[in-house]
Amino acid sequence: MKRKKKINSKRKTSSYSKLNLFQKPGIKFFRPCPLSIKDAPLVDYKNIKLLKKYISESGRILPSRITSVSQNKQKKLSRAIKRARLLALL
Amino acid sequence: MNCYEHTFIAKQDLSESQNQKLIDKYENIINKNLGKVLKTEKWGLRNLAYKIKNNRKGFYFHIKFEGVGKTIEELEGAENIDEILLRFLTVKVKKHDLDINYFEKKDDYKP
Repeated sequence: MKRKKKINSKRKTSSYSKLNLFQKPGIKFFRPCPLSIKDAPLVDYKNIKLLKKYISESGRILPSRITSVSQNKQKKLSRAIKRARLLALL
Repeated sequence: MNCYEHTFIAKQDLSESQNQKLIDKYENIINKNLGKVLKTEKWGLRNLAYKIKNNRKGFYFHIKFEGVGKTIEELEGAENIDEILLRFLTVKVKKHDLDINYFEKKDDYKP
């Protein structure tokens, strides 16, 4: 009896409820892309102030799931950051 | 004709006249080989983010020009040999924006 109870409790925590901790079905964690709105700054390898917002302290490119940048702009961002690295600006 | 942006880094131990010579030299190469220089920018002496050939600082120069494939071949061929330069980068752009200069210093305004 005891064993069965343990297994049951494990299953409950494992699959679904843990996910729900982060993503509740009713609420959406949606933020619009900060680089696609009106009057957004240009993504360019010379614009270091902007690029510095999208790299970590150790210099790595932040994933778009954290910064909520759209796919199109994330591509352009990563290309711009790599160009700036080559010129030793970042 | 395509639009290109070209940036190169020179060693830090250069005088101003030598800097001016460098720019004139590469502008000449562009103008001779079917190209046309639109704008040149001096970004000045900047700290490098990491060491390049044991240099911590470098002079940055930026040229915006129109040209064809042969222009770039000649330009980069000449720069590969040059020992004063640390690094260079050519980027093709759709349109030039000649107004914005991200590296302009406020002290340098001389009307």
